[in-house]
Amino acid sequence: MFAVTTLIAVSFSIGSFRIAEAEKPFLYAVLLWIILVFSALSGLSRSFVKEEEAGTMDVLRLSARPRAVFLGKLFFNLTLLGALELIIVPLFILVMKYKIEFPGFFAAMLISAGLGLGAGTTIVAAMIAQASARGALFSALSFPLLLPLMITAIKGCERAAVGIDTAGWPEVRIAIAYVVIMVVMSLFLFPLIWEE
Amino acid sequence: MYSLKLSKVRKYYSRTLLFDGISFELYPGEVLAISGWNGSGKSTLLRIIAGLVQPSAGQVEMFFRDEPIQRESRRRFLGMVAPALSLYEELTALENMEFFCRVRGVSYDRGNCLNIMGRVGLTEHAHKICRNYSSGMKQRLKLVQALLHKPPLLLLDEPGCNLDTKGMKIVENIVSDQRQFGITVIASNEKREVDYANRVINLSERSHSNLAA
Repeated sequence: MFAVTTLIAVSFSIGSFRIAEAEKPFLYAVLLWIILVFSALSGLSRSFVKEEEAGTMDVLRLSARPRAVFLGKLFFNLTLLGALELIIVPLFILVMKYKIEFPGFFAAMLISAGLGLGAGTTIVAAMIAQASARGALFSALSFPLLLPLMITAIKGCERAAVGIDTAGWPEVRIAIAYVVIMVVMSLFLFPLIWEE
Repeated sequence: MYSLKLSKVRKYYSRTLLFDGISFELYPGEVLAISGWNGSGKSTLLRIIAGLVQPSAGQVEMFFRDEPIQRESRRRFLGMVAPALSLYEELTALENMEFFCRVRGVSYDRGNCLNIMGRVGLTEHAHKICRNYSSGMKQRLKLVQALLHKPPLLLLDEPGCNLDTKGMKIVENIVSDQRQFGITVIASNEKREVDYANRVINLSERSHSNLAA
């Protein structure tokens, strides 16, 4: 709902006509990722907090292997993100008349950066679950962690829209490397966060 | 054969000492009651034994045939009931049990689940959403969750909480059954529950009565 509201607000206030043609690929990429990231952050931070608030965190700690819990939450967050991208991206393209020269590269960028966004926010959500100022802490911890990914995703989407030579798909490879680093690091870090 | 050993366990909350020097060994057939005033650390000691909280000092060890069981593997050998533990309210009782069987790595046996639910008088409510359960029914379901995998170590924090006379009798039967093969630790101030035990620690007095090293 947050994502759709933001998208409608952006389309009404900016539209597709107020931006110079040359600026469109970059600005649209920025807008798209702002909508995606903020929508994702508002929902994904809840994945562990919900367990804490419902009092199910301890019973889960007593029953499940920490890595199984992390992978379960990661899978849930990725499903949520996938659904969000499936709704928002076509709507954004339609409303903003977003022209994309290399749809394959654009889709790969969305998928790889989406995976990175899910992996990054899941481990931060686990860290802040037991803190008192969860919302503020989640933003403070997430943004530095997600900044390199966001910059890469924006650059990648801009290149896909403009149609600049995308040989080797460098931004997609960076995003995939980010996903691998984040998931491997989380698998080692999560049991320590989870146990106490 | 399983055993539980606590060695000089100490717990601080901030700078306040909750308890210190808690040491005991328990073997199958034994029931230990931990009593004490509110805030004396009964629940905390139980959570330390369960591995949910780290002690400030000392060790909690569990053994199987004198071989230590790693902390991360301990979950398979213990069941716990506590007021702070909740089950998933959006699921039915049976769905909850299936979920906990699967995450524990225990094969889900519907018949066994229904059998344990029958022991606590919940068979006819097995398909009801837990949100609609009364507090007493939720407590009974927590008992089922703790017993599902037949744990050799059963930790009961105020097990009679929200239970009626029939429910209290169920707890008594569970403790009695557990005595046949496992260890039970009960944290309570209720005389009836403390009386189930053959050994007692009173955290308020900081003295350990009837404890053999």
